[in-house]
Amino acid sequence: MSRSWLLGAAYSTEARKICTARVGVATLIMLDIGTALISVAAVLGARSEDSVIAAKLAPLVAAGGWAGYLSASTQVTSVAGLLGFGVVLAWQFGREFSEGTVTGLFAIPVQRRTLAAAKLLVYLSWAVVVSTGLLLALLVGGVSLGLGLPGGEIWPLLARGYGLALLTAGLAIPAAWAATLGRGLLSGIATIIAVIVLAQIAVFTGIGGWFPFSAPGLWAATGSAGPDLAVSPLQLALVLPVAAASAGLTLRAWHRLQLDR
Amino acid sequence: MGLNGAGKSTFMKLLLGMLRPDVGTVAINGKDIRDAPAMIWAKVGHLVEHPLAYPELTTRANLGLGARLHAVKPTEVPTLVEEILDELALKPYANVRARVLSSGNRQRLGLASALQHNPTFIVLDEPTNTLDPSGVILLREALMRRAGETGAAVLVSSHHLDEVARIADRIWVLNGGRLIGDLDPRGIDIERSFFGLIHADTKESA
Repeated sequence: MSRSWLLGAAYSTEARKICTARVGVATLIMLDIGTALISVAAVLGARSEDSVIAAKLAPLVAAGGWAGYLSASTQVTSVAGLLGFGVVLAWQFGREFSEGTVTGLFAIPVQRRTLAAAKLLVYLSWAVVVSTGLLLALLVGGVSLGLGLPGGEIWPLLARGYGLALLTAGLAIPAAWAATLGRGLLSGIATIIAVIVLAQIAVFTGIGGWFPFSAPGLWAATGSAGPDLAVSPLQLALVLPVAAASAGLTLRAWHRLQLDR
Repeated sequence: MGLNGAGKSTFMKLLLGMLRPDVGTVAINGKDIRDAPAMIWAKVGHLVEHPLAYPELTTRANLGLGARLHAVKPTEVPTLVEEILDELALKPYANVRARVLSSGNRQRLGLASALQHNPTFIVLDEPTNTLDPSGVILLREALMRRAGETGAAVLVSSHHLDEVARIADRIWVLNGGRLIGDLDPRGIDIERSFFGLIHADTKESA
């Protein structure tokens, strides 16, 4: 009964839970199809004959064509992605407390730290599926807008969008830690909302590049929105320690978990 | 046994590592539970407060999940699950999602999850809560079978004096977080003995 065997057992149980639950499936659909639909709607709105709507949406898709459409999608992904990924993490970790199942996760061969690691691994697998699904949904949306098949200069923008989704998934991990400390879903969701608010403030005050929770969104937008929003590789790299530290704190919290409150 | 707030659940949580003791240690098979290897926990079955029942999963899937977490080999899981479904009369609910089970059947599911991997140390906190009379009988038989056939040690907290007297070899009485009595239920009036200990302890404490 090796540690990897126990991790495998925990991974399979966690995967089954997220595949069966409405939260996992509904969030996947909303993030993928919802983001594509909003982006399509932004392009259609900018083309609208209603001058007020067109004027409001034009800056969002200013680059025009695929670049403008993908620019709109990155802005949606950087906010909605953080919220959606955060909700799933808060559910994964917080539900064990709110549904009382956490007592069954004590006194078993699989250590709680291993269980938390399995939850995070399942989450990351799910995030890869969501990111891939988003890429496909955006391709379908762009083609259905009549933009034609993306040319060679558009693929780097699509790759940035894919990278943005994955980086956003990593940035949502504090929700898992918060849900564990707060013993329920709500603290995880509240934390991710606070992170979104802070990210917006950072962008508006001009320090967004140095704030890891807003840097990926700015980086992804750079490809289509001009050099003003440029984010350096160092600024972007700050995402990794934030995600890793959040994951480490979550594992530690599960290792030291007590049901004293 | 003990009155509400006597410390029964706290004691069980300490045994299972859900709480850390302020002083002293908890050991299983001579090993501090903080360092206990996975093999030891594979032989423990428990139900404390809430059953391990995920609402989106069926009864059968929940049991399969519980078995995997107790390190049962994947090939052995289906057999064990079918056996415990039969034993606790859960077959009619095998494909029903836990979210729509009655509270009594959810409790049966929790008990099934605690017993299916044939543990040798069983800890159950108020296991007959929400069970109907047939559930109480099935549980009693399941526990007696495990104690008799495999020599499993069974630790049960309960308010039901008669039920405890019927199945227990020893009864520990808790009051105010302290062990105040160790009764042999054979040949005694359990109600009289239990309340006698409680009254004496309460008077002494006052």
